[in-house]
Amino acid sequence: MKARINGEDLDFASSVSIAEFIIQRKLPPETVVVEYNGAILTRDKWEAARLKENDVLEVLSFVGGG
Amino acid sequence: MDDALIISGHKIDNRFFLGTGKFASYKLMQEAIISSGARVVTVALRRVDTQSAHDNILKYIPKECIIMANTSGARNADEAIRIARIARAAGCGDWIKIEVIPDNKYLLPDNAQTILATEVLAKEGFIVMPYVNPDLADARRLSDAGAASIMPLGAPIGTNKGVCMRELIKILIQEISLPIIVDAGIGRPSHAAEAMELGASAVLVNTAVATAEDPVLIAQAFSLAVKAGRIAYRAGVVLPKAQAEPSSPLTGFLR
Repeated sequence: MKARINGEDLDFASSVSIAEFIIQRKLPPETVVVEYNGAILTRDKWEAARLKENDVLEVLSFVGGG
Repeated sequence: MDDALIISGHKIDNRFFLGTGKFASYKLMQEAIISSGARVVTVALRRVDTQSAHDNILKYIPKECIIMANTSGARNADEAIRIARIARAAGCGDWIKIEVIPDNKYLLPDNAQTILATEVLAKEGFIVMPYVNPDLADARRLSDAGAASIMPLGAPIGTNKGVCMRELIKILIQEISLPIIVDAGIGRPSHAAEAMELGASAVLVNTAVATAEDPVLIAQAFSLAVKAGRIAYRAGVVLPKAQAEPSSPLTGFLR
């Protein structure tokens, strides 16, 4: 299964939930925000949302900026 | 006399705002915030590198600070609106600096798109701080659209050239009732003082602090310059004169 994560096509052996993906990538859940197919996905929905073929996921966080 | 800056009902005790980009480390940025006493700091939103370790900038920002996300990277109103909504969803609060920059060479903002984004975001309850070219008609449009302040550039971002737009900023200060915050181009503390002497409500600096030899020390210098400039504005700065005028009496000499 292929999904587009932060502009890159990634292959997944099996379907994962957003929550699992965040844990797998060792990202601190409290500091990232997720946009799932163009809509903001709040943290309480990460468990239920599963990555599907051709999904587009943006995982964002704050950085320094002026 | 209490001279606190009020933006959308929020009392802000320091008129020096600090951007957090370009610092060598988050720790250094934190020390610069502390040494300056800044109470409003900006941050940006970017894609997480999902391959490497991740540090959280927010934990380095003192609790008493207002965190204002910017919409840097946005090239039009729609992108700015999208970034603002994501920033709020990420727990950043309602403060948003709208920065719409379609031009990579001069990094000048697009006022028309900024006005469109301001209209939408102000209705959604954001405290909208638009970064714009200093134009009076556009500042009035932003004011009508619900902006919380107007943030005209002093000079293009990162140029350290100072308050090049001085005359136009002065007009905004005289004509617009919202706080006018000079953002971008401020290169040295004397520039910051100059902006404040003109009557700016605050100054936002990033590059000139983050890229200085000692960011922590210069952050303090900027903060002091902003305070001095503000006091001078309140005191009433005298105007230049064409002719010399003695400071000491010219009568009653010893001879």
